[in-house]
Amino acid sequence: MTDDKDVLRDVWFGRIPTCFTLCQDEITEREAEPYYNFPEKDLLHCPSKDAIEAHFMSCMKEADALKHKSQVINEMQKKDHKQLWMGLQNDRFDQFWAINRKLMEYPAEESGFRYIPFRIYQTTTERPFIQKLFRPVAADGQLHTLGDLLKEVCPSAIAPEDGGKKNQVMIHGIEPMLETPLQWLSEHLSYPDNFLHISIIPQPTD
Amino acid sequence: MLCTHTEKFALRSSCSPPAGCTMDCSDGYMCKTHLQIKNGTVAPRPRPSAHEQTGLPMEEAAELALDDAEAAEVPAVSPVIRYEYHVLYSCSFQVPVLYFRASFLDGRPLTLEDIWEGVHECYRTRLLQGPWDTITQQEHPILGQPFFVLHPCKTNEFMTPVLKNPQKINRNINYVTSWLSVVGPVVGLNLPLSYAQAASQDM
Repeated sequence: MTDDKDVLRDVWFGRIPTCFTLCQDEITEREAEPYYNFPEKDLLHCPSKDAIEAHFMSCMKEADALKHKSQVINEMQKKDHKQLWMGLQNDRFDQFWAINRKLMEYPAEESGFRYIPFRIYQTTTERPFIQKLFRPVAADGQLHTLGDLLKEVCPSAIAPEDGGKKNQVMIHGIEPMLETPLQWLSEHLSYPDNFLHISIIPQPTD
Repeated sequence: MLCTHTEKFALRSSCSPPAGCTMDCSDGYMCKTHLQIKNGTVAPRPRPSAHEQTGLPMEEAAELALDDAEAAEVPAVSPVIRYEYHVLYSCSFQVPVLYFRASFLDGRPLTLEDIWEGVHECYRTRLLQGPWDTITQQEHPILGQPFFVLHPCKTNEFMTPVLKNPQKINRNINYVTSWLSVVGPVVGLNLPLSYAQAASQDM
C-alpha cells in the first residue's frame, strides 16, 4: 500500500482538479490592512525560514507520535529530517517521499497506525480545530472510515441539518467518500506534514 | 520576579503519570499570568481575583484576572510586561505542554529574543544552541492565537526517572508540579517552593 504513492504525487503536483467557491462571508469589500499592521496577536508571523522549518518538523514529530509513538521519526538521522524539509521547500516530491514513505509504514502484525493524525476545521465554531485520539482499526478488526471518524469526533458535520443543509467534507479541496478507510486516507492523502487536514464547509446553495 | 500567587494553580493539576493516564483530551487548560517590570524590580503586589470555571475535566481553567490598573502603580518609565503561561494536555504526546507568550501592556507582543532576556543565564546557552528545536510558535489549540510552545517530545524522557523514585518509596508527587518546575524556569516561569509543599499536603 505504501508503495502506491501516485495519489500523493498527483496531489503534490496539483493534478487533482480542485474547484472551490468562496462563502459569502469570505468576500469582503473592506480594504486590506496595511502590511505593517500585521496582526501579531492572531496570526503566526513566521519571521524566518528556520521558524517555518521548525514548525513543519514539529508537526511531523507530532504526527509520528500518534502513528508510531515517535519511534520511526526518532530513529531517523538529522539529515533525513533535513531531507524532508528540503524536499518540501524545493518542491521535489521524490526527495521528500524517499524519507516520508518510512513514516507511512506500519508493523506487519498491525493493520495500521496507532492513531491517525488529523485536524478538523469548521467555520461554525471559535475553536481553531478539532484533534483527538482515534484509531484506524476497530476492536473487531474492521477498518474505520472517514464517516466513522466524523460520527465520533464531529457528529454535527454529517448529521442532516434542518432545512436539508448539508456540509461538504473536504481534504485537499476534494470530497472523499465517507466510506473511505481512514488508514488509506492517512497513507495517501495526508498533507506533507503527515496530518489529514479536513475542512467542513457548508454546502454552497447555488 | 513577582508571581501572582495562587496555590490553586498547583492543586488542580492532579494529572496522573502518563503510564496510568486515561484522560480524554480535555477542553480545559491552566493559565497563569504575571506582570514584571522590564528592568527586574518588583511591582506592588496586585490582589489576585481568581475565578474558576467548574465542570471541566482534569485541567480546569483557573484564570487569573489581573487588574491592569493596579499594575499602573508602577513608575511610568519602566515598561511592564504581561507574561502568560498555559498548561495544556497533549493527546499526541500524552504529556502536559507549556504554552507561553508575553506582551507589553499596550498589546505589542514580545519576540522570543525579548523573552529570553528574562531567563536565567544558566539556561540560556543551552537554549540558544538550538532555539527553534526546542521552542516553536504554534496556534493555541483552544484560543487559536499564536503562542510559543516548549516541545513536549522529551518530556517522557526526563519525567520517567522523576516518577520512578517516589513510587519506590511510596511517596506521592504531583506530576504537573514536578514537570513545571523543570520546564518553567527555562522560559522564565519560576515556581515558588510553596507549590511543592501544597502538592505533598494535597495528596
